[in-house]
Amino acid sequence: MSGDYHGDDDHEHQSAWGPHDWSHGAPHNSWAPIIMSIGIGIFLYTVASAYSWGEMVDPSSIPLIFLGLTISFFGMIIWWRQDASFDGIYEPRATGTPFQNIQIRKVAMWMFLMSEMMVFTSLFSTYMRYRLGLTPCVEIYESGSWIVNSQTIDSGEAVNCFLPASELIASSWFHIAPGAINTFALIISSFTIVQALRWAKKPVGSVDEEVRRKRVYRYLGSTWILAIIFLTLKMVEWFVGFYIPEIGFLGLHEHDIVSLVNEGYTIHADHYHPHHGWEDTHLAELAAANPSEFEEYFANIASIEGGYVTTDAVMMADIRVSTSTFFVTTGTHGAHVFIGIIGLTYMTWKAWTGGYTPQNAVSIEYFGLYWHFVDLIWVLVFPFFYLY
Amino acid sequence: MSEHKIFGQDIYWANFIGLMVLTAIEVVAVGSEFSKAMTLFILVGIAIPKFIMIAAIFMHLWGDKDSKILTLTALFPTFFIIVMVLFIGLTHPEATTGLPEWCRPGYYKL
Repeated sequence: MSGDYHGDDDHEHQSAWGPHDWSHGAPHNSWAPIIMSIGIGIFLYTVASAYSWGEMVDPSSIPLIFLGLTISFFGMIIWWRQDASFDGIYEPRATGTPFQNIQIRKVAMWMFLMSEMMVFTSLFSTYMRYRLGLTPCVEIYESGSWIVNSQTIDSGEAVNCFLPASELIASSWFHIAPGAINTFALIISSFTIVQALRWAKKPVGSVDEEVRRKRVYRYLGSTWILAIIFLTLKMVEWFVGFYIPEIGFLGLHEHDIVSLVNEGYTIHADHYHPHHGWEDTHLAELAAANPSEFEEYFANIASIEGGYVTTDAVMMADIRVSTSTFFVTTGTHGAHVFIGIIGLTYMTWKAWTGGYTPQNAVSIEYFGLYWHFVDLIWVLVFPFFYLY
Repeated sequence: MSEHKIFGQDIYWANFIGLMVLTAIEVVAVGSEFSKAMTLFILVGIAIPKFIMIAAIFMHLWGDKDSKILTLTALFPTFFIIVMVLFIGLTHPEATTGLPEWCRPGYYKL
């Protein structure tokens, strides 16, 4: 289906916040982005000043944090009030190469996604650097070098190593469940938003307007619900955990699935105790190949049973780099989902009031581009941060 | 004049089902007893088509009148991505052990 083109004719477009001057190349002039930018700037700066490593260090910044949020919200209200009256008839188009005749907002959205791609690439390259540069904790554990170096709970010394979140998340189907459900939720939400666009774009007369209204708001509302599910499960996975009851016929035994934070997987974890069934096989090999060395270093704290080394010593690991890369990357993605929820809240309301027509349905497409991008990023985050 | 390509329902459904199946394979592969290298191979092998399916079908980069220039726009950062992955992600020596003090955890603790 083709989009309808309407030239930027001289036209006074009345909005709730005054007329838009469509005749001087300022098709949707608004203070809203500037006001929101100022608000977000104040918010980010004051949050950074108020907290250090999760601890509140400057309570006097709290009023400024709320001031930043209030200004952002005020800018958003202006934007929404203007957009609510925006009928989409005057969709401006680029005049210069290489984007000639393409809608300006569409080009802008792609430019924005380009910059977003750079943000996530920097996070991914950081993750790759540390994952490849630091020795995996499991390798150090199995080598037994932590015993030689006295990096144990008794000494207070910690090994600097990399412990990917997947060591915990991919340790059982229940641990992996929130991330897996989230992946399916995001894919379904990508589907529901293209369906909302499809129904909004149906030509006038080809579908009953009431049916169009219901379909569009139901699909957008479904996307909203799926986004809420995503963030809720993210909170469960990070902070809350969940309970598995005893279900005999399924072979399930009563137990708790501990959240990452309760597991000790936090950005403060400079003395983390890895305890996930790693086996001291290398140490056993060392004992077999070089009994005198084993006797010298390990005999008083370890013994060999059935080919495996057992020891009462507890290895301590500094995993702050591992946890920081995980939480910053997945948290940045989660922040994008949250921003999407804010946009979807408004769009669902607008759809409920019958605000979308084939003329202005491109707004759903532009938001959809953002939402699909969020899905795209998750397609990479999920396997490499959760599974591998 | 540019156009927005809106596919029929079938191609969206097919794409959606395909993405769900690929994700299910991904999760099952991790639960299976494959080696680390094989698991990585499977995950990369699945992530690439998923990425393309979302960009091509859901983001309308395939079949749209403007798709060529928009695809080029989307691919524009590829050069910088390669630079970042190769020179920061993979090769920078001592990135994990040679960080200056101000870049280390705990430096700003008050």
